[in-house]
Amino acid sequence: MRRVGESFALSGRIRGKALGKDVGALRLELEPEAPPVAFALLDQFDCPLGKSHRALIEAEGKLILLAAQAGGREQPAARSGHFIADLQPGPVGEALSDLSPLRSLLALGQGRMVVRRATLLDEEEKTQARAWLRRLEPDGPGAVVTLVELQYLRGYDLAFDQLRRRLRGAAPHIELEALAESLFPGTPAYEAKPQVPLAPGEPAARAAAALIGAHIAVARQNEGGVIADIDTEFLHDYRVSLRKVRSVLSLFRGVYDAALTDELKRAFSDLMAPTGRLRDLDVYLLERDLYFDLLPATLHSGLSAMFDLFARERAAEQAKLARRFGEQAYADQIGRLQRVFAEPDALAKGPMADYPVLGYARKLIWARYHKVCKLAAEITDKTPDNEVHALRIGCKKLRYLMEFFAPLFPASQMAPLIKPLKRLQDGLGLFNDYAVQQQSLRALLATPGADLRDDAEAIARSVDALIAILHQRQLEQRARLTDSFAGFDNAELRARFAAQFHDGGETA
Amino acid sequence: MKVVACYSNKGGVGKTATAVNLSYAAAASGLRVLLCDLDPQGASGFYFRVKPSKKLKDDTFFRDEDRFAGAIRGSDFDNLDILPANMSYRDFDIFLSRMKNSQSRLKKALKAVDGDYDLILLDCPPNISALSENVFKAADRIVVPVIPTTLSERTFEQLLEFFVDHDLDRGKLLAFFSMVQGRKTLHHETMEKMRGIYSELFLATVIPFSSEIEKMGLHRAPVAAYAGGRFAARAYSMLWAEVGARF
Repeated sequence: MRRVGESFALSGRIRGKALGKDVGALRLELEPEAPPVAFALLDQFDCPLGKSHRALIEAEGKLILLAAQAGGREQPAARSGHFIADLQPGPVGEALSDLSPLRSLLALGQGRMVVRRATLLDEEEKTQARAWLRRLEPDGPGAVVTLVELQYLRGYDLAFDQLRRRLRGAAPHIELEALAESLFPGTPAYEAKPQVPLAPGEPAARAAAALIGAHIAVARQNEGGVIADIDTEFLHDYRVSLRKVRSVLSLFRGVYDAALTDELKRAFSDLMAPTGRLRDLDVYLLERDLYFDLLPATLHSGLSAMFDLFARERAAEQAKLARRFGEQAYADQIGRLQRVFAEPDALAKGPMADYPVLGYARKLIWARYHKVCKLAAEITDKTPDNEVHALRIGCKKLRYLMEFFAPLFPASQMAPLIKPLKRLQDGLGLFNDYAVQQQSLRALLATPGADLRDDAEAIARSVDALIAILHQRQLEQRARLTDSFAGFDNAELRARFAAQFHDGGETA
Repeated sequence: MKVVACYSNKGGVGKTATAVNLSYAAAASGLRVLLCDLDPQGASGFYFRVKPSKKLKDDTFFRDEDRFAGAIRGSDFDNLDILPANMSYRDFDIFLSRMKNSQSRLKKALKAVDGDYDLILLDCPPNISALSENVFKAADRIVVPVIPTTLSERTFEQLLEFFVDHDLDRGKLLAFFSMVQGRKTLHHETMEKMRGIYSELFLATVIPFSSEIEKMGLHRAPVAAYAGGRFAARAYSMLWAEVGARF
């Protein structure tokens, strides 16, 4: 493979003295520092760039992307919004195409940047290796870090290695993954799916409390993003986390006293209720382009009118929810629940409370797996939709259980079990999406007063056409589901599930 | 990957200056460019301060893909690499005469770096030979600098005759007037005459005779690298725009 550049971060300021003058027969030239400029370190909320050893800097109207294994790229920073699709076409946008299209780029922090260039020259003044040193001086209490972008000039491998060695030796190395934490300490790393450590002998009730506590914490990390309306994933993650809390409460049967369980379920359901409509509207609006693609241009005016309605309602819902999240009453409500699970031993126990979590996990997963297989086996082309939906819910529960308890089992054993389940879930999810979309479109037409609007007729025409197309897609997807079942409900997978969860397989 | 040759069967017409400055302009436009110096004098390599290749000599150029790729050197400029020449290239015709499919060996050799580059520019030695026949086959476009003088007119006619005699595609030829001196009546008259006869073969851009271009040897860099705003540099970038538009 052809060599490319390399990027890494060094602690503190790199002084000329630390680099020296000559490297073998080559002369090391360190250019004077350029005047300081403002910089911002960008990433999405869940830090996919940091996690993949990349750093995205905005400075002097440019976006500079550095990758540990691939050097640097630049393009103009001007953009129409902060999503990846809003960037101008260019090398940085291209290299960011693996990032979520739904997540906005955020400034993790700002500061001053001082740039200088180090060059290795031969006796003819030919550059054989080159590095950009970008010293980042963060606003606030963080540490100074020098980002090094080493450019590879083809054919000058030796000089490249020499310059790298010289630079690496000049100061302690910092992983790009840890760059944000070094520059801007104290920003908690966000993990939408936290791995809660569980000990095999831990009582089931304690494990449940730990899982619930961790997921409430995840939900709370999203509140700021919902209030600021940065992107729709904040609310989505907020809801998924609370849904997982409710799943723990309903799936971990018998760990808490029945009355307490009911009360807690209600409390979390109350917490989620005010978020439902906003999420629905987010989903509709995210489908905007898809709907426009599905319909011919003659029906687009109705769609535009419909999406204008959605957008207006969404703005109102968002403002309402942002207000709610900022209120003391909400902080009290969720804070109280957080405190409840911080002291698990004070919770009224159910009959399974002290059962060791490993055995409990096996029992739950095995029973749930059986249930899912039974549902899947009964599905034919003629099965009513609601039974297909029941299967989807069953799969989701099984998936949650397997994810909650994953730390108890070897990752290598879990991955081949989760993969076919995920495939089945994807197929069922698509089927469900088509059904839900049709439902919500019908609901839109049935909204009181909808027929009084000037553009009611145009909207109705577009919606009718959309429903027809979505219905067709749903039927096609239904036909495809049979294959996904076959991948899931087979002897080999059954044997694997049995070995892991029924016959007492390996533990982590 | 496209291949553009800078070629003239007459020497001293600004061929290497064209290859160097066109490759710089193409790289600056965002293309990944390899400038391949086929002239044993190695002037292209000299302008980029790249030393002559030691290992890529004799017929390894045509026979050894790894050595071919291994001899490439990055220039000081983004997106622009150089394959420097070797003195043994003066015997290219002898190597080629010993090989099978001797007319398509260059095309085959360039395949070694297909995928690494969007554009390969060939700086060719000034003669009509077995190597130039390879160039004519390998190149998608052949850029021909023509000084508007009687002698150049004659060599250009010879080149066209060669294309006709050997059944080559004349459509590949993109000629332009080089080293033009605005004050010389002869230059104006020759340009007018030749544009009249070969209108479809000549590009609109004219490269002037310029002290900025002469200074390339002093700076050992493309004109745009030391005199970016000057007319000569802009002329080359216009010339590249015109050549690039012909693909």
